[in-house]
Amino acid sequence: MDGTMDFTIGLSNGIAWPWPIAVYLFFAGISGGALATAIFIRFYKKQTTNTPLYKAAALISFVTISLGMLCLVLDLTNPLFFWRILVFYNLNSVMSIGVIALTAYIPLTVVICLYALEEEIRSIPALSMLVPIIDKLRSVRQPAETAVFVLALAVCAYTGFLISALIRFPIINTSVLPALFIASGISAGAAAAKMLAVSLFKADRHGHDMKLLHGAEWPIMFAEIMFIFMIIMSLMTGNAGAQSAFEAFHTGSWAAVFWLGVVGLGFGGPLLLNFATSKAFRHSANAFYAAGICAVSGMMCLRLFILYAGQNFAI
Amino acid sequence: MEDAVSENRERRRFLKCLGASSLIIAPLGCSSVKEESDSNKPHYVMVFDQNKCTGCGECKDSCNVANNLPDGKSRVLLEQLSGDSNDAQCLDKGTEDNLCDRKYVRVSCQQCQNAPCVTVCPTGAAHRDKKTGIVTMDASKCAGCKYCIAACPYDARFINNETDVADNCDFCLNSKLVKGELPACVTQCRYDALIFGDMNDPTSYVSKLLKVKDAVRIKPGFGTQPSLRYIPIVKVGV
Repeated sequence: MDGTMDFTIGLSNGIAWPWPIAVYLFFAGISGGALATAIFIRFYKKQTTNTPLYKAAALISFVTISLGMLCLVLDLTNPLFFWRILVFYNLNSVMSIGVIALTAYIPLTVVICLYALEEEIRSIPALSMLVPIIDKLRSVRQPAETAVFVLALAVCAYTGFLISALIRFPIINTSVLPALFIASGISAGAAAAKMLAVSLFKADRHGHDMKLLHGAEWPIMFAEIMFIFMIIMSLMTGNAGAQSAFEAFHTGSWAAVFWLGVVGLGFGGPLLLNFATSKAFRHSANAFYAAGICAVSGMMCLRLFILYAGQNFAI
Repeated sequence: MEDAVSENRERRRFLKCLGASSLIIAPLGCSSVKEESDSNKPHYVMVFDQNKCTGCGECKDSCNVANNLPDGKSRVLLEQLSGDSNDAQCLDKGTEDNLCDRKYVRVSCQQCQNAPCVTVCPTGAAHRDKKTGIVTMDASKCAGCKYCIAACPYDARFINNETDVADNCDFCLNSKLVKGELPACVTQCRYDALIFGDMNDPTSYVSKLLKVKDAVRIKPGFGTQPSLRYIPIVKVGV
């Protein structure tokens, strides 16, 4: 007889996690993705100098994770309660584990910024007090980079695990979400780092790092498309709850966000800019920035879609 | 008659048990013996009898008063379910000559034994009370992250606008049970539609009731093992 009674109303009034959480997931993804990419390239190519890409990624990772934290804190019912998350822990909670990862990750992004921007810091007299700190930290650069590489990927995955624990929402409660968030974090983080490297740190748009990133872009995008396809298929062929959540992909305004924002802008934009334009335009600065902005906006749309459509289509 | 006295009888038994168990538990708390086994722990359940609920809503009012909640807020809601058949005919009819089903269902924390809110809470504010096993809140630990609200498969949790922390029905654990009283809604319900007690006590009224009555749980497929039992209105002959 189980199942003969049910209710449809709830006590919470509306969705629990609104857009600031989507923005937080977005920033955390960019931060982790950008830093993981830059450090991977540094290790892979055995670089010893601070490349423009590394500088850009270091700066982006610190700035975006700070902005993400700001979103997170402002979304608390009372931002002044924030200290409680830092003082009380529950190791069964994904969020608590994430807090532990972030308390290690955020200071490390500062350390990476110090390494990366050493020249710039030395050239600004006002920041001279940082120089002895940089000198002291130099001996642990290798282990710090290894640790932050692992933590950066962990933070990307954490944003996926954080929400995939919500069993009421079929779109969110999927096992591929952490993998999808790592893939989309890397592609958008790399795009953001690339753009900043070229605009602020004067990287050559056709340099070695950029070529490597440009080549990696497509397999990562393919992985993202595969993960999203897997979610769609499992919902379409799933149980009644999953099937009703599948509606999110073809009805309502969030379907538009998905098809125009995630698919059109995020995947279609870079693909068209690279494969459907003249060779001259393809290699222009305009195309470079347009493709990067498309990738980053697509990722923001993906987070918004997953969070809002996910919470709107509850079992 | 049996039904009319059941609540009072249950209340007396509850008080007796609470007194007796405090005698047993108090010395245990001081000694260094290991935690009691699960079978000795109470499992408090609430039974909602749909056949008896008239939808008067007094349970909500009593909840508001007992737990000092903001105006108009209650940890319990009642949802009116339309009748299974002839929905169109049910519309625009007064209560006097309405032949359609007037079914209500209690919407409140289901007191899951495998509670997602307790699992996800980063600070341990949403926790299980050690003595009673009831899922309740430690308001002084809650950071207001709303993870528990998103995680609750029953959407049975909310933010108390006066305290800015999450809240749930904990069977009036801190407002009534500690004083040896029954939950406010149970006491208030004049139709005996709510029954509360310890299911691990074979002599309790709820244990006996659930042995003979068919009761269901809401959304059992989530694996949350809710402690609220519902006795549904069942059509004759099914």
